[in-house]
Amino acid sequence: MNDFPELENELKKLRPAQPSPILFERVEEALGVCRAGASPARQPKRLPYNWLSLSLGLAAAAVLVLFAAINLERRQEQGEKIAQNSPAPETKPVSPARRDGIGGSTSSNRFVPAGATQVVYNTRDEGLQFARGSEQPLRRLRYQTHQTWQWRNPTTGASLRVSYPSEEVVLIPVSGQ
Amino acid sequence: MDNIASHEDWKSCFSEVAPRLLLFARQWVQSAADAEDVVQEAFVKFWRRNHNIENRALLYAAVRSIALDFIRRDKRRARREATVFAETEPAMEPQFEWDDETQSALAAAVGSLPHDQREVLILKIWNELTFNEIASALEISQNTAASRYRYALANLKKSLQPQ
Repeated sequence: MNDFPELENELKKLRPAQPSPILFERVEEALGVCRAGASPARQPKRLPYNWLSLSLGLAAAAVLVLFAAINLERRQEQGEKIAQNSPAPETKPVSPARRDGIGGSTSSNRFVPAGATQVVYNTRDEGLQFARGSEQPLRRLRYQTHQTWQWRNPTTGASLRVSYPSEEVVLIPVSGQ
Repeated sequence: MDNIASHEDWKSCFSEVAPRLLLFARQWVQSAADAEDVVQEAFVKFWRRNHNIENRALLYAAVRSIALDFIRRDKRRARREATVFAETEPAMEPQFEWDDETQSALAAAVGSLPHDQREVLILKIWNELTFNEIASALEISQNTAASRYRYALANLKKSLQPQ
């Protein structure tokens, strides 16, 4: 069948040119590092589910649920403590004797303000506007803050802290030069 | 050619087949850079789809398909390639390395073969595909592949004979 064995041998002596080294880098990059060492011929057939990913995901979900439960429990405990401490001195009626200055010793459950912080975490310039009846423009700024108030019981050393987000809109007159 | 399925990773597999794939891709695209683009895309696609690396016909068919898509994407390139493919025109020269200059005449003769004969010759000689695999890769019959191969060798012998 083959009438050209010599010619075939001569042709086989011609070697195809080598690809540029960059081609290997490009293919490696395209294939991704994670698959660089794996041969598809040797890879097992994919299971309908990736059990490793599934089990890791379930484990992560279980940990999250556990943390959430612990966190909830702690909050409930703190809530109970706050509820116990909440009859603050400001709301508690002062006894007549104390009002008169007789027997005016500090109550053991009296809380005094210990500090207040206001953290501005976002400021938004909402542009210029004119107030009613005013010819002077006002710049409207919206501050989003996180305020924390703290009280302390000097007798027992217990402290009470309340934090809440707040929003404040400020109008600043703009003067023309 | 070693059994490429015995390789442990893509690098050794690719380093073995890349020169041959490039030579095959050069049948459709003129520049080596374009051929590398085609080979890269074909090999990555083939590898990602977890095809059996022993299925060489499929790998070469992928190169051919992507090379044709590559041509279609650029109409100007397609016109240029169509001119090159015209059998009346001298075909592009495959990229070879040789030890002595006497082989350059042989390389030039291969380059001047008609396109359909040259692609069969390249798959047979340098890629060591069987006629069955060639037929599968080129979507032709096995007899057509064998006859094109014989015509290619006959034309080469004829062109190399002293005038």
